[in-house]
Amino acid sequence: MKLAYASSLLVLAMAATTSVAQELPPYYPADYAALIEAAKAEGTVNVYTSTDSANSQAMLDAFTAKYGIQVAYNDLGTNGAYNQVISEAAAGQVTADVVWSSAMDLQMTLIMDGYSDKYQTPEWESIPSWALYDNQLWATTVEPIGLIYNTNALSEDRIPKTRAELIAFFNDNQAELDGKVATFDPEKSGTGFLHHTNDARQTTDWWDLARAMGANHVKTYSSSGSMKETVVSGENVIAVNIIGSYGLQWVEESPNLGVAFATDYTPAFSRLALITKGAPHPNAAKLFVDFMLSKEGQEALASGGLPSVREDTTTGLNINSLNERVGGGLRPIFVDEGLLEYMDPTKRVGFFNEWKAAIGL
Amino acid sequence: MSPDNQAAARVAVAPPSHAFVPAPKTPKVANAGLFRVIVIGLLAIAVLAPVGLIVYQSFLNAPFFSARAKLSLDAYAYVLNDPSFYKALGTTAMFAFGMVAVAVPLGGILAFLITRTDIRFKRTLEVLVLVPMFISSIVLAFGYTVSIGPTGFLSLFVRDIIGFVPWNIYNLPGMIVIAGLSHVPHVYLYVSAAMKNLPSDLEEAARTSGANIWQVSRDVTLPMVLPSLIFAASLNILLGFETFGIPLVLGDPNGIMVLTTYIYKLTTLFGTPTYQLMAVVAMVLVLITIPLVWMQRRLLRNSRRYAALGGKGARVSTLKLGRGGQITALSVIALWLFVSVGLPVGGITVRAFVNAWGEGVNLFSQLTFANFDGLLEVPSLVRGMINTMILSVVGGALAVGIYLLIGLAGHRNNGISNTVLDYIVLLPRALPGLIVGLAFFWVFLFIPLLTPLRPTLISLFVAYVVVGLSYGLRLLQGTLIQVAPELEESARTTGATIGRTWRDVVIPIVRPGLAGAWALIMIIFLREYATGVYLMGAGTEVIGSLMVSLLQTGAMSTIAALALISIIMTGAGLALALRLGARIHD
Repeated sequence: MKLAYASSLLVLAMAATTSVAQELPPYYPADYAALIEAAKAEGTVNVYTSTDSANSQAMLDAFTAKYGIQVAYNDLGTNGAYNQVISEAAAGQVTADVVWSSAMDLQMTLIMDGYSDKYQTPEWESIPSWALYDNQLWATTVEPIGLIYNTNALSEDRIPKTRAELIAFFNDNQAELDGKVATFDPEKSGTGFLHHTNDARQTTDWWDLARAMGANHVKTYSSSGSMKETVVSGENVIAVNIIGSYGLQWVEESPNLGVAFATDYTPAFSRLALITKGAPHPNAAKLFVDFMLSKEGQEALASGGLPSVREDTTTGLNINSLNERVGGGLRPIFVDEGLLEYMDPTKRVGFFNEWKAAIGL
Repeated sequence: MSPDNQAAARVAVAPPSHAFVPAPKTPKVANAGLFRVIVIGLLAIAVLAPVGLIVYQSFLNAPFFSARAKLSLDAYAYVLNDPSFYKALGTTAMFAFGMVAVAVPLGGILAFLITRTDIRFKRTLEVLVLVPMFISSIVLAFGYTVSIGPTGFLSLFVRDIIGFVPWNIYNLPGMIVIAGLSHVPHVYLYVSAAMKNLPSDLEEAARTSGANIWQVSRDVTLPMVLPSLIFAASLNILLGFETFGIPLVLGDPNGIMVLTTYIYKLTTLFGTPTYQLMAVVAMVLVLITIPLVWMQRRLLRNSRRYAALGGKGARVSTLKLGRGGQITALSVIALWLFVSVGLPVGGITVRAFVNAWGEGVNLFSQLTFANFDGLLEVPSLVRGMINTMILSVVGGALAVGIYLLIGLAGHRNNGISNTVLDYIVLLPRALPGLIVGLAFFWVFLFIPLLTPLRPTLISLFVAYVVVGLSYGLRLLQGTLIQVAPELEESARTTGATIGRTWRDVVIPIVRPGLAGAWALIMIIFLREYATGVYLMGAGTEVIGSLMVSLLQTGAMSTIAALALISIIMTGAGLALALRLGARIHD
């Protein structure tokens, strides 16, 4: 029974391989078919992630359709994914093959602490150099950080175009905006912490913005989605430093919601993938990472609302069309050791204290 | 963070079962003694393994599995020197006591009306008043923001009429009222049980000598049930300390932090999770809980003794409310139900069918099924629904079996093992569900024989059984205690062993009660959310924990749709419970 099952899988696998092999881009190594073969024999890939299936399902389905490999997709949140990876490694029970998380700093920490394996993806030349780190960490998306607003409360022409205008807007409209400004709570959200500290690293006027928000008694939230809910309902009228790729999707669904990006400076974060050390399905993991970075995989992600880091995709947004959409100021957060700057406890506490002072807590 | 209502049971399981009945005359025999030791021993392992891990973790300076981990009091030093901790502690205390101030009087009044008066629709009301208990607090809080938040549909409606919104649910008083109203059933359960045992002759005497209903309840009934009221109050203080959903959704954005949301913050504050700090706060919760539980045990002993003075089987005749009284009483109950069930469920229902709401949005023009279409396209959500059904229906039945075994082990057992049992049962309830779940995740990861079970529903099931222990056991003990001791004694005198007595006498008699207990435990497992957050993985998703995970990205449309589905499943479970004749009250 088992044997029959296994052999039928093998037949299926071989049938699939021959068709796939022909579709591989010319720059893939000659022995890539062997990797595919080995990955198929493994049959499944375990992905630990913070990305909701709603955004990634198209990519997962495309991967399984192409290779017949099942994706065990664990949406654990950024902390959940990190926690499981280090716990499993300590217990000698590594289950994750690929960790795919938006917590860029935690991903870099995992690399530094030796939880990952190196792999040179054949797709490396198709993605920007800032999106790769040491053949261990790959940026799979580029997602702008922006603001959303309630269109019933604020007309589009009043929305600031630059960071300086945003600060002035908050300072000049306190009567109207007081108690109706939202942003991430960096203490409770790793994403928010990344957005805010990146601003603190990259810009000179971050603390001016923080104080301007504080002057309006800014309310802080732990997710972009909960901020969107309050902006849609009119409880808040504007939310700053939210995940703009979600914002671009939300404005399609919610008629009273607008999304905007600063033309002089729109930072963008990426969901980073790594392959775990001791992954139970190492070949499937490599295949999955390659697929995520491939034109096909990137287009599937873009169709789910996660813009591509490549320039050659035609579905949804890619890094170039996104830069146009946000007004030309796209500044991706580089995948490098700078991500670790605020993992240092002293710097971290210092940031929190300055933050709390700025917003008047 | 775990279902609040489980704690309702916390102390009811505490009194030794013999408090109700004459001491058993049957001699202890070896087979039952061995059975008791084995069952209680296994239970102790299941409970103490995760709890012990938390205690151990709190005395380390790094995750217990880290090579850097050393014994240290640093975590205690950090927490006890952190001003935010004291602020959260103070807020939690105000929250808990405020909640009691709302829930206890209302719960007492409800219990009085339903048990001591001739209020109409009594059978229906007995069930309806428990409904708030079955809605998870996270769902409850979301529902309220949509209906009576600053731009909720009812808020806007009222504002259009009177020009302003006369309430605010985003401050501490607002949260207290909401939490208080939703905890009324916890008070009702205990006070009504006490009131049912009261003889009515005293009330009748007061009535015939000219006192009105109000005077009777204040001067006669109230003093007699005072112990159970105090007991219910201390229970609700405990529940107040453990509440998570309401402060998370309503308090967090405005900087109102309680101990459970403080723990939540500790997962991100330092970038990487600081388990030792979370463990310390969990220990603080345990330390606050234990003296309260001890006090409850004493109180309960006294109250049972007090109520027993009336003698069992005294005829209870009801006080006549009169026409005006009926209308007033029913209106108060209807208003409370509207606020504590109608508003949140209404809010969730509305949100599940729209994508925009609030200021300047016509809800009717927004109606859509898109939120549900989205659900079925995502395999993990579909699996979540199926798993939740399996865990609650099949898992609930298995749990009843396990609780029955534990119940039998404690049945007519006066030994020290019963006291041990009482405390073991209470321990998991003292900890937030999120932390119990995390501890179980580690237990299943680091104990070699258990590792194959981790990616299966069995790991979730074990955690659920432990978290649901106090409530489930109370249900079973309530059923077991109804078996008249004479029946067991006659079986024993004709030569049956204890095992045989249980098999041939006790279990057949309690079988109908088991069906009802199954339905209620099913509901408890349905609404559980915190315990599964760390335990679930691909293939073992459950609705409640999926909602918590979705909350991190804030996919509110999906959350609302899932919440509505879980409410519908709960409603079905409740209907089944009633059909099976669940004895929701003692």
